[in-house]
Amino acid sequence: MDVLIEILKRLDDRSLGVAACVCRLWCALTRNDALWEHLCFRHLSPPPEGVRTVVVALGGYRRLYTVCVKPVLSRLGKMRVGGAAATELERRVWTRHEVELSLSLFCVDYYERVLLGGGGGSGGGGGRFGGESGSPPSSLMFLCKAVNV
Amino acid sequence: MKRDHMNQENFSSSGSCSSSGKAKMWSCEADEAGDDEHFAVLGYNVKCSDMAEVAQKIQHLEQVMGSVQHDGLSHLASETVHYNPSDLSSWLESMISGLNPMPEFDSSSDPFLESSTITSVDNSCSVNSRAQMAVDLDFGSDLIAIPGKAVFPRAEPPVAPPAPPPPPPPPPQHQHQPLGKRLKTSPYLDNSVGGLQSEPVFARPVESTRPVVLVDSQENGIRLVHTLLACAEAVQQENFKLAEALVKNIGFLAVSQAGAMRKVATYFAEALARRIYRLYPSNPQDTAFTDMLQMHFYETCPYLKFAHFTANQAILEAFAGKNRVHVIDFSMKQGMQWPALLQALALRPGGPPSFRLTGIGPPSHDNTDHLQEVGWRLAQLAETINVEFEYRGFVANSLADLDASMFDIREGESVAVNSIFELHQLLARPGAVEKVLKVVRELKPEILTVVEQEANHNGSVFLDRFTESLHYYSTLFDSLESCGGGSNGSDGAVSDQDKVMSEVYLGRQICNVVACEGADRVERHETLAQWRSRFGSAGFVPVHLGSNAYKQASMLLALFAGGDGYRVDENNGCLMLGWHTRPLIATSAWKLS
Repeated sequence: MDVLIEILKRLDDRSLGVAACVCRLWCALTRNDALWEHLCFRHLSPPPEGVRTVVVALGGYRRLYTVCVKPVLSRLGKMRVGGAAATELERRVWTRHEVELSLSLFCVDYYERVLLGGGGGSGGGGGRFGGESGSPPSSLMFLCKAVNV
Repeated sequence: MKRDHMNQENFSSSGSCSSSGKAKMWSCEADEAGDDEHFAVLGYNVKCSDMAEVAQKIQHLEQVMGSVQHDGLSHLASETVHYNPSDLSSWLESMISGLNPMPEFDSSSDPFLESSTITSVDNSCSVNSRAQMAVDLDFGSDLIAIPGKAVFPRAEPPVAPPAPPPPPPPPPQHQHQPLGKRLKTSPYLDNSVGGLQSEPVFARPVESTRPVVLVDSQENGIRLVHTLLACAEAVQQENFKLAEALVKNIGFLAVSQAGAMRKVATYFAEALARRIYRLYPSNPQDTAFTDMLQMHFYETCPYLKFAHFTANQAILEAFAGKNRVHVIDFSMKQGMQWPALLQALALRPGGPPSFRLTGIGPPSHDNTDHLQEVGWRLAQLAETINVEFEYRGFVANSLADLDASMFDIREGESVAVNSIFELHQLLARPGAVEKVLKVVRELKPEILTVVEQEANHNGSVFLDRFTESLHYYSTLFDSLESCGGGSNGSDGAVSDQDKVMSEVYLGRQICNVVACEGADRVERHETLAQWRSRFGSAGFVPVHLGSNAYKQASMLLALFAGGDGYRVDENNGCLMLGWHTRPLIATSAWKLS
């Protein structure tokens, strides 16, 4: 089991998604937030203090990744590198600003989603995150991607 | 030959149009690159390289008109006031100068005149100059003849009725405005445009003197802008009959446009109509609706987010090392700005301070305590992320009603005051903004963050205000166009509904700027330079927004679809967000001197 987790830790997001489809055990394992934390901050030496509590409170690392981290990185990565491949994402190092921005957006997402109850028009974006239904937070719709993780 | 020249004018302004030919499509798109950007804002498509040529052509045109005097069309060139019903000169003059800077007009003359000039018309159109009939300009399938602003007298012509509207050309351009409409509105449309005082009255039917103007879709955009400006000028001169006629025209012309131009024109036309007919819009009392509109605006485009993020960054930096902080928000609305600040404070090195928030808002008209609800939600969020939070809401009709003692500033508290798009409303009442700034001084804030629209919509001359706001909102609507259906997402991240709501939100502002006056006109935007002098004289000095704010803002914009259209600029320590070359909103920060 530990070996399994160790291996999963090293995967990228897409592979994790694939792994989740293997069997129920694996599915449960891949939903472990620690994995996603590792994925988010793997390249950021040491993550800022207290981030975990905040992130967990606001919805967890998996959600953070799906909603904010991945779009932010890929959009900004595209801009810099120009259509980088998916593997580029893994090796990319976060900058402090990107972290801050992602976290801020994540917080706004929480506020809208939970507290405003999706008010202000949910609109499109049905396929926003695999398996997570409910009205997508509106203000982050510009980050919207039909992505399944 | 003359026609050729005019044709060439049109070519040069239409960029990449192919060479003339009968079957040529006139709906060619202007080449975007190399367009003069000032003209582009107005909807013209004039290449920079052609500017000199265009100016030359216009001069030439004037000469032509003058020289035509000798051909017997003297009345064409003169500008005197005529009440001779068969005299079209002043009317034509106004047509040309007021509406069509580069017209391809084919002025028909008095039927009794040998229409010598008409036969020299463009070789690409065949003209029948039937003496009796109005010049029936059959321009072939690629040119559209629009019966121009004029005017047929409503009296029934003894001579044969005017030629039926020319068949619409294959390219679908919605410009075949039926003559019938024109006929009815003729008495009004006779009025001159753009500053000429003549009012030719057509008592005798002279349908044969139907002047026709050739246009294509580009020209219509130009005509639209000109008509808008002419109408505003008429309103300023209190020439309401003329303005009324023009406003109706704007409606027709607007329909022929697409996208942003159409929407902007429609909103401005509505606002002008309101001003003319004195149907002033009541200031929205329904704050819930306004808030909802603003939420959609928040989601659709980055302006509000930019405002929030940059202001938050300034406040965060001002609160570095402070343990008790108090933020006073003049623009509470839904409180969308504060989750991000709370989160940033929660994660700052050294832990979060104890946070106190005072929100100011207008009274709500539906018995709900809106401000308290917002406060409660924010409190929940703060609890989730473990930030000590306290909230108080104040209802005030105007910021000028506030007093420093109300805020209960405690010992050891660091205060920040925040105002997003609120201060300009105070300019409607004399002395209000000075009073508010005095109150702010008494609060002794660490920082005052202000975000305002970067435009001068508060000039004393109506026409100037109108022109400025036309440019400003055109740019804003342009940027909205790029937001909808962005490059991301399979079904488009921003729904049409959001976009429409954002447009309504902006439309209300347009209505207020154009149609209202006095205390009702609250959208009194001023430029950063003007605000700077105001703050300076109130005893504030600027605080430079650091590179952190700049970087964050740039990243934020990069995330938006159409992100390459947005620009963040730094201006003496203030940050401006603009669309292409035009700055639209400005964030600035101030502290006590």
